[in-house]
Amino acid sequence: MLLLAVAPAWSQDKNAPDAALEQVLKEARENCAQPTDRLSKVLCGGRIRIGVRDFYPLFATREGDERSGYEVDVAHAIAKRLGVDVEFHRVNAASRIPMIGDDRIDLVVATMGHNTQRDGQVRFIRPHYYQSETTVVGPKSLPIKGWDDVTGRTICVTIGNGSNAEIVSQNVRVMLFDEAGVLPERLRDDTCVLAAQDDSFFAEYFTDPAFAAEFEQKFGFAQVPWGMAVARSGSDKLARALDLMSQIFHRDGVFLEFARKERIGTAFLEKENAIWKRPECNTDTGSSNPACVLPALNAELKPTPFVASVLAFEDWTESKLGLDVTLPMLKTAPAFSLFVNGVINSLILIAGALVATLALALAFGAAMGSSSRLLHWLARAVTVTLQSSPIVLTLVIAAALAHAIFPYSAAVAIGAAILALGLSNGSNAGQAIFEAMTSLRSERQLSGVNLFMHSLGRSATQIVAFLVNAAKGTPIASFIGAPELLSALTDVTSFSSGRVTTYCVLLIFYIVVVMGVVWLCNKLRSFLEHNEATA
Amino acid sequence: MSPLLQRLGGDFLPTFLAGMAVNFEIAALAVAVGLVVGLPLAYARASASRAAVGLSLTLVGLMRAAPTFVVMFFLLNVIPRDAELFGIPLALSGVMTVALSLVPYSAAYAADAGVEALQQWRRGSHLGALLFLPNMTRAFFVVVMSSGAAAAIGVTEGISVILRQAELLPSLADRLVLFAIGIVMFGIPLQLGFAFVRRLQRALGSHMTRRQAST
Repeated sequence: MLLLAVAPAWSQDKNAPDAALEQVLKEARENCAQPTDRLSKVLCGGRIRIGVRDFYPLFATREGDERSGYEVDVAHAIAKRLGVDVEFHRVNAASRIPMIGDDRIDLVVATMGHNTQRDGQVRFIRPHYYQSETTVVGPKSLPIKGWDDVTGRTICVTIGNGSNAEIVSQNVRVMLFDEAGVLPERLRDDTCVLAAQDDSFFAEYFTDPAFAAEFEQKFGFAQVPWGMAVARSGSDKLARALDLMSQIFHRDGVFLEFARKERIGTAFLEKENAIWKRPECNTDTGSSNPACVLPALNAELKPTPFVASVLAFEDWTESKLGLDVTLPMLKTAPAFSLFVNGVINSLILIAGALVATLALALAFGAAMGSSSRLLHWLARAVTVTLQSSPIVLTLVIAAALAHAIFPYSAAVAIGAAILALGLSNGSNAGQAIFEAMTSLRSERQLSGVNLFMHSLGRSATQIVAFLVNAAKGTPIASFIGAPELLSALTDVTSFSSGRVTTYCVLLIFYIVVVMGVVWLCNKLRSFLEHNEATA
Repeated sequence: MSPLLQRLGGDFLPTFLAGMAVNFEIAALAVAVGLVVGLPLAYARASASRAAVGLSLTLVGLMRAAPTFVVMFFLLNVIPRDAELFGIPLALSGVMTVALSLVPYSAAYAADAGVEALQQWRRGSHLGALLFLPNMTRAFFVVVMSSGAAAAIGVTEGISVILRQAELLPSLADRLVLFAIGIVMFGIPLQLGFAFVRRLQRALGSHMTRRQAST
């Protein structure tokens, strides 16, 4: 706080932010009779209402009436510089912007990332008072340095996190959680091998020696500047005063001092400290100089050409049917692309699984019915092994072997899934063909190709059952990173709203497709049974 | 000591066995709920009412077509965490979510096997109807194997224990050995279960043959 009290030579320069700040405050105090701007109301009323979080360790926490943390320190420093009392109000991620809009608070200092979407809702104070990034955390024993090392792995994330779109674009699977608070525990109990979240969130956990001994930050991405914010209307002078104050706090190392005191990361603040000492930035127009301030994060996703029709449909279902339908997969270009590719990949996967199951069923049936004892017992041993392996494990083994031979790609994941589903179901169907061959041998004295063709008819019901099972099993391919529809829509919901509708669409899609497969397979069964009956 | 032996030397076995117990717990829940849902559908299908038969066939057809993995993610994402019914919390645990996702399969299976058993019973073949028991035992073991899908939503069961250990092993060979251990551990109860089903079916079959011969 000593730094606040020091009035260095800057303040004597009339173009310095200090002089400009004094001028703004002086003018605002003169308007106490008819305060129009929030700055006058704050100065004349002698208090500023600041929204902070109640539990965001190291940044803003509350124990009884005691608040502490970096943002609380910043809030106190602002009130002190304005010469008013501070009145704290509890906000959270959902309430912080509406509370400004409703004039329930004058200022929010609450871990809010500055992005272009929010620019239309509140007026952000610049320069930004902090910057966070999404960090990937995992066990120290895991050699991970960047995206190349996590391709095909699963990262635990929270739903709606702005950085999820970037994670899923890197061929990484996501496991979704509602609350960030569960991620460290899920790392500890091994549910998650890797977790991605804001570095400011993990900062507190890394102050715990036990956590720090086991885990480390692997790499970071998606840097987001954090901004204090005020209302877009009626707060021009308050915003101007805070812009200047933020400049001064950076230049004088006030933010840096608070950050060191609270043991949060200081790399960004050190950089800003150097920037705001530069003559071209340390002026009353510095906060609007693009060379000095950071741009807002561009978080807006490109809309689809038919987004207006989708929105109209959503409104229609709500007004006419009373249904809250949200179709995020049709609204933005990245989501639509994931959706279309997911549908195509699912259909390829289903067709591939059916062909592989049928082909392998014939191969296993022929091998088990072969006169060669070696081939017979080999086929039986493989069948028993595949029957004993849960399908998830079979998929993982197929994926591990495929990735040992080929570099990771969607096609390799789909190919491995087709092989695993074909082996698992084809071996069982092959066994059914063999059992039919055994019974036919004793009944009709058939042999060779004739016997094999008849046994297909007799085992048609089981063959069809395993074909349907293979088609039904295809969504599990998402477990090894195959980008089919379940995987695609999980990715879409990780960065957009509308989970309920999305998963309803998914369920309907698969039920319809599987019913189509059942219909086709029944045609196949009729054909095989007819062949056997007429022979 | 190799990384694999280090993993196996720790608390792997007790953790894995505890995980496998979760697989059996999931299967027991899924089959129990499946029986509750499936048997009335079997009764409806075996009834004289065309409406009841049609409704039963439609529902069983839909349940048969619903992929377990998709149903699991559907339940996980559609039921709100704070959902309540008459003040009773409806939020599902991970185990319950997986168990319920397996219910469409087990209920459809119970309905099919139940219809067959009812028809046998009405024909006077009480022992034939008893084949329902080995059929449901078979379904139970199939569900045990399918419950490994729980690994995808973070439930700690047998497969997820293996996969977590495998993620920390640097060499493919070590991982394959670990997977092989998993197959053996799952294979033993499964093959024993199927052997029991076959024995039970044979015993019931020979009992039926003797009865028919005596009448």
